[in-house]
Amino acid sequence: MTARRILIVDDEVDFGTTLAERLELRGYAAKAVSGAQEAMGVLADNWRPDVVLLDLMMPGVDGLATLDLIKQHDPKIQVIILTGHGSTESGILGMQRGLFDYIMKPVDIGDLIVRINEAGAQ
Amino acid sequence: MSENRSIKRNCPIFCGLYGKDLSPQARYRCMCNSLFIVMLAITLIPLSITSGLNFFQYQQLVREDSRANARWNAESARATINAYLEKLQAAITVVIDSHSFEDLSDSQKLEQIFRQLKKEHQGLVDLSVVGADGIQTAYVGPYRLAGKDYSDSLWLHKALARRMYVSEVFTGFRNVPHFVVAASKKDPSLDRYWVIRASIDTETLDRFLALADTEVLEDIFLVNDSGILQSGSRFHGDVLESFQLTRKPKQSDIIIFEEMRGSSSFYRAVSRIPNTPWLLVLDQQGAESRKIWHIFKGRLQLTLGLCFLASGGMVFWLSRFLAGKFREADEARDSILSETEHSNKLASIGRLAAGVAHEINNPLAIIGEKAGLMQDLVGLEQDFRHREKFLDQLASLQNAVVRARTITHRLLGFARRMETSLTLVQLNGIITEVLSFLEKDAAYRNIHIILQLQENLPVIRADHGQLQQVFLNVINNAIDAIRSDGEIHITSRRENQKTVMVAISDTGPGIAQDVLRHIFDPFFTTKGNEEKKGTGLGLSITYGIVQKMGGKIEVSSEVGVGTTFIITFPVYKEGSEEESNDRA
Repeated sequence: MTARRILIVDDEVDFGTTLAERLELRGYAAKAVSGAQEAMGVLADNWRPDVVLLDLMMPGVDGLATLDLIKQHDPKIQVIILTGHGSTESGILGMQRGLFDYIMKPVDIGDLIVRINEAGAQ
Repeated sequence: MSENRSIKRNCPIFCGLYGKDLSPQARYRCMCNSLFIVMLAITLIPLSITSGLNFFQYQQLVREDSRANARWNAESARATINAYLEKLQAAITVVIDSHSFEDLSDSQKLEQIFRQLKKEHQGLVDLSVVGADGIQTAYVGPYRLAGKDYSDSLWLHKALARRMYVSEVFTGFRNVPHFVVAASKKDPSLDRYWVIRASIDTETLDRFLALADTEVLEDIFLVNDSGILQSGSRFHGDVLESFQLTRKPKQSDIIIFEEMRGSSSFYRAVSRIPNTPWLLVLDQQGAESRKIWHIFKGRLQLTLGLCFLASGGMVFWLSRFLAGKFREADEARDSILSETEHSNKLASIGRLAAGVAHEINNPLAIIGEKAGLMQDLVGLEQDFRHREKFLDQLASLQNAVVRARTITHRLLGFARRMETSLTLVQLNGIITEVLSFLEKDAAYRNIHIILQLQENLPVIRADHGQLQQVFLNVINNAIDAIRSDGEIHITSRRENQKTVMVAISDTGPGIAQDVLRHIFDPFFTTKGNEEKKGTGLGLSITYGIVQKMGGKIEVSSEVGVGTTFIITFPVYKEGSEEESNDRA
């Protein structure tokens, strides 16, 4: 059975790489990128993630726009917003665009894995 | 004294609509006074002018009616006396024309004629024949006057000079006031004139004058040109007493005098009775003393008085009403400004708290992940020398991260309810709680809230605060839609084994279909042009919350009828708890 692929899109590179490393320790195939452009590059390289963990506030293309790009690329990829700048409005907007879930930073790794698994199972 | 001045300065009687330097209470009182004075002037000035014109018109009508009435009464009395005299004169003319002096000098013949005349002419006292020498040759009557010499009497000379003569009133040989009607004729055989004379007592005149007694009559009498009363007068003395007229009419004119006696007006009509030495004088009160004019005047005064009172009362009420409305509007504006200021302050604090929490969350997440990775790595190294101590330290670090996270999430919760805390809640209880916030507003707008809540409704699993927000948004929208005077029906019931529903219907104007399609879209609002501007997020947040709790919200509406929101939630079942927790 192949490991679930997780793509972390966060301009806080230190956070993304650390989280990717932790997920890999738990048997996931994780990659961390710092923005929408890089993320779309990964998708274009035929590395299709099962779940994308997406930051909301990023320079350039923001989280919701990135969500649109990912959904346009492949609507089946499940996206979880993982952000320190959460708000009800952005959560609702995300939900209406096909967002799977919305989690506030910092998050317990155990809780995060439960959500990732739920998303991956969709 | 100085205190009085201070009160006047603090609350002047007139200050227009803007008393900027006054306290609010004094300003509204003064505004009320100013409105009262201005409106009273606007209302009463035209009313007073109309009343003045009405009064003037009334006076003119009364005056004209008084003069016409006096003239008519005088003419009527004159005609009565004139008719009597003409009839008597005609009878005497017939007698003298059809008899000779010798015929009538026969007392028996004269008595026969006298009896005949007396039947037809009331007041006739006696009848006699007087020769040209002034000696009364024949006499029929109650006095002993046969053979009396009238050669010095004025009436005889006048009668001889004219064919027919009516004398002034005099006492004569009988010493009783009377007047005579005498006719003269020339005896062809003797070529001398002789006279037939009829005497009439003055009571006859009084009786005829008494016929003119009307509602406003004061006095009516006869007087001659020399100012001697020819009949009795109620106020000016008995017959033959003196009475002077200031003006006398010529020939058959009737002249009317008007004079004021105290507060009442009097009218005097004077007319000459043709072919007599008499002037008829009639005194009567002005027409205002007549009952019909009295009633008219009373009604006119009552109507005007009521108009003044009604205008004054209306202006009094209106000035207070308008000043009250101004005051209410100002207070509402101040209250909105104060609420807006308060909301802005809270929003600023919220934004600050949210900003701080957001900025801290990111470095906190890095600390948490770094510590977590270290825990992972150390945990894998069984041989690491300080493994336990490291793991303890890292666990403490993670605990500190959790504590900090709790603080930042609370800060965010203050700014906006982000966290969801699921508990078992009873929908009816939440609806009742929410209504306790809105009841006053609804009652103020005369909106009746009719509840049909099913008892023993199954509990649902939801966030208490967010569910409150859901019902608050929907019911508040219903109240805003109705504005005033209407009904809101709230029904709760178990739909089936799996769901419970709440329906909220209003009798507002309804929503058009093209608007209804976008009603849950973010930033879509219909309140843009109204005083209470909407953000366009209320129903989209409601929609998000209901969906997040596994529920469903639907809306149906008909323009002119109203709108219904139906919200359904899954009934809580034991065993589904964990799953729900995870979703939250």
